[in-house]
Amino acid sequence: MSEQPRPEIAVDGFPRRSRYAWGDLVTSADHKDVAKILMVGSGGFLFLAALELLLMRLQLAIPENTFMEPVTFNRVLSFYGATSIFFFALPLIMGIFLYVAPLQVGARGTALPRLSQIGAALWVMGSIVLYAGFLWTPSEAGVNPLPPLSELAYLGNNGVDAWLTACGFATLGFVLIAVDLSTTLRVDRAPGMAWRRAPIFAWTAAVGSWLMLFIGPILLAAFTMLMVDRNYDGTFFINGAGGAPILWQHLTWIFYSGAYMLVLIFAFAAVAEIFAVFSGNELFNRNAVMGSIVAIAVIGTLAYLQNMYTAPIGIGWKYFGMLMALALIVPIGLVFFNLIATLNGGALRMRTPVLFAIGALVSISLGLAAEMQQSLVGAAFYLKGTTDSTAATSFALIGGAVFGGIAALHYWFPKITGRAMGEQLGRLSFWITAVGTLVAFVPMALAGWEEGQVVDAYKFFNHTGVNFYNMLASIGVLILFVGVVLILINAVASVKGGARAGHDPWGGDTLEWFAISPPPVHNFDVQPDVRSARPLRDIRAAIAERAREVEQRAARESQPVA
Amino acid sequence: MTPHSPGTGQINTLIWIGFFAALIVVVVINLGLFGAIGRNRGGRGRAAHQTRGPRGLQYRVAGALSGFAVVLFVLGIIFTSNATSTPQTTSGGLTSYHGKPLEGPLEVKATGQQWLWRYDYPNGAFSYYKLVIPVHTAIELQVESTDVVHTWSVPDLAPKVDAVPGKDTRIVFRADAEGEFWGQSATFSGQAYASMRTAVEVVSPERFEEFITEQQKNIHKGQEAAEAIDAIKVKELAEFEAAEEAHAKAEKSAGEAEAGVTTEETEEASTKE
Repeated sequence: MSEQPRPEIAVDGFPRRSRYAWGDLVTSADHKDVAKILMVGSGGFLFLAALELLLMRLQLAIPENTFMEPVTFNRVLSFYGATSIFFFALPLIMGIFLYVAPLQVGARGTALPRLSQIGAALWVMGSIVLYAGFLWTPSEAGVNPLPPLSELAYLGNNGVDAWLTACGFATLGFVLIAVDLSTTLRVDRAPGMAWRRAPIFAWTAAVGSWLMLFIGPILLAAFTMLMVDRNYDGTFFINGAGGAPILWQHLTWIFYSGAYMLVLIFAFAAVAEIFAVFSGNELFNRNAVMGSIVAIAVIGTLAYLQNMYTAPIGIGWKYFGMLMALALIVPIGLVFFNLIATLNGGALRMRTPVLFAIGALVSISLGLAAEMQQSLVGAAFYLKGTTDSTAATSFALIGGAVFGGIAALHYWFPKITGRAMGEQLGRLSFWITAVGTLVAFVPMALAGWEEGQVVDAYKFFNHTGVNFYNMLASIGVLILFVGVVLILINAVASVKGGARAGHDPWGGDTLEWFAISPPPVHNFDVQPDVRSARPLRDIRAAIAERAREVEQRAARESQPVA
Repeated sequence: MTPHSPGTGQINTLIWIGFFAALIVVVVINLGLFGAIGRNRGGRGRAAHQTRGPRGLQYRVAGALSGFAVVLFVLGIIFTSNATSTPQTTSGGLTSYHGKPLEGPLEVKATGQQWLWRYDYPNGAFSYYKLVIPVHTAIELQVESTDVVHTWSVPDLAPKVDAVPGKDTRIVFRADAEGEFWGQSATFSGQAYASMRTAVEVVSPERFEEFITEQQKNIHKGQEAAEAIDAIKVKELAEFEAAEEAHAKAEKSAGEAEAGVTTEETEEASTKE
């Protein structure tokens, strides 16, 4: 049975569908092409998000600054919120999942490729809608447009509608991609690849897709309700007409908390792959990490109530939020323990992906420790709404999406393009980004904790004791911006000019390194039988064994018969 | 923040507990991480020797982490319930009010609106921006909003609390020191959100009674003055209207006399054009 020949697809000599590479890219339903659209696009939005953050920090560099009008600042703030979450972090993560996970499980494509294609197209449409707002009136409703402020009575122009449409399109796109990805990982794994042998990154892609399938529709429901309120005389969030403004907070915080957890588990999984490969070890305890990732996704989403400690809800609900937030210590602690223990006894090669992976862990540890402090209900009675909470979230999410995402990009770049990203520039960009992150967000945390500086404000007042902290934070963001630009320059320059990397530059153990770089449309000519969690190592061992046999036979045959 | 009320004292202690817990987490993780990196660098022909832990190790780590989380949870609940427990008026506080003994906390209403706080005192006096309260006295603040979501926040005196339209939220706090304490709304509320500040002036009970009586008097005076101005305006308007009417009447009668001529003339002019 197992000896039956498998049908093979020949690709050499197939005509390309279009004369132009971009024509192929936009009409292709191949998961790798769709993922490329998401990854390249999110790179552009990383630049825009960093630029918007820099603009806001320029305004906040000195007290009572008049660099920006209040309205302009609020518009940039609204752009920044949408760009960093819906157009940088989530598409980058979904893109890398969509590119790598099917390859890792030895699939020859995805199960429902057109869904991913439509998803990416929706995301592109969303980004156009958002930035088309520049030409008319952008949203002024802030990072999370809380009703009643985002209702028609308070913001009468179409900015909020455009914001909701843009982020709604993007979220719908992520949900469709999640359908495709979760189905693929369920049904299209290579023969022999049970879940206990699946790579940790593919497992996390499956968990992340299910998480998106749960939280995405909740956010879409909230957006739809607000659109109905604004355009069709709805009263979902209008007090006194049967609606409740607090409902919006419940619905959107479920999504934002879930998305936060998605960023974290993505970064943990990418770091796990990188630490294992570059230290020549296996993950210290696979089962513990696999279970912890599921626990983080579930418990972290339930912990959404920790964002509503000052809201008018019962104290019991606040204690429940605290219970869930503190329960996260166990799975997150186990993941950290196993990631660090993976290095033990290894021979770690300090290449750029490892540097970014270490940066991700350090930054996430700072952010989550500060979040832990704020998950204590009483502490949040003061710290919530101060720049201390912004700094905590920024450390965790920049650690996850920027450091973790760029670590993953450095690691899989040779697979995607066939060329490695520049090592020198990579190191330089890492150190600049790391210094920038620390200089930007440590003073911000101190300003929030010591003096209670509030978030999202277009100015702060003189003589409130925060002048020095804010100047330092602005300098830090400037450094961070330079680092981000260097990362992007490195990526763009390496697509054509990087050193040729071969099919398996790092000596990986998982199946994506079995495909050629860049992989053909059908990914693998031969789908290997998987017999352990390190299939490529098995294949390398089998080849070495075979070579030895051949050598020995040749040696025997060449000996003169006695 | 410098706590000046029993509740914020508890909050400050909890923040420090949280800070030391966070410090432990950061130090343990980063020492472990950089220690492992330092000990296991590759190069010089060093090969990897995978170490394996028994499964029990994971349980032990998970157990230690659970213990840490449980301790934090219990401390969190203790200090939070202390911080939110209702304080009582102590000696030196306001015990009687307008001659009547004050039973329970003094009730004040705080109403958030874009981008200002209004405070209503029990005797009908009100003030904008600045809240004046007596020292050592339990204050029950009823926080409301007339438009969008705001957060009333005066860090030194009381926990933050959201003002959500349609929700009647109450907090009780007691200021233990006289002085002026600043506060700033902490939920994004639109254009001038950054300027939505407030202040609480804590004064002696005698000064407080003086203040609200004076405030009430001033408000009455202001209202009387406004009413006087109103009366003058009404009178002037009536006079003006009467004059208008008389003028219109005079014009009308004059117009009727000339009517024949003027209408014909205009009609002629328009047809010519």
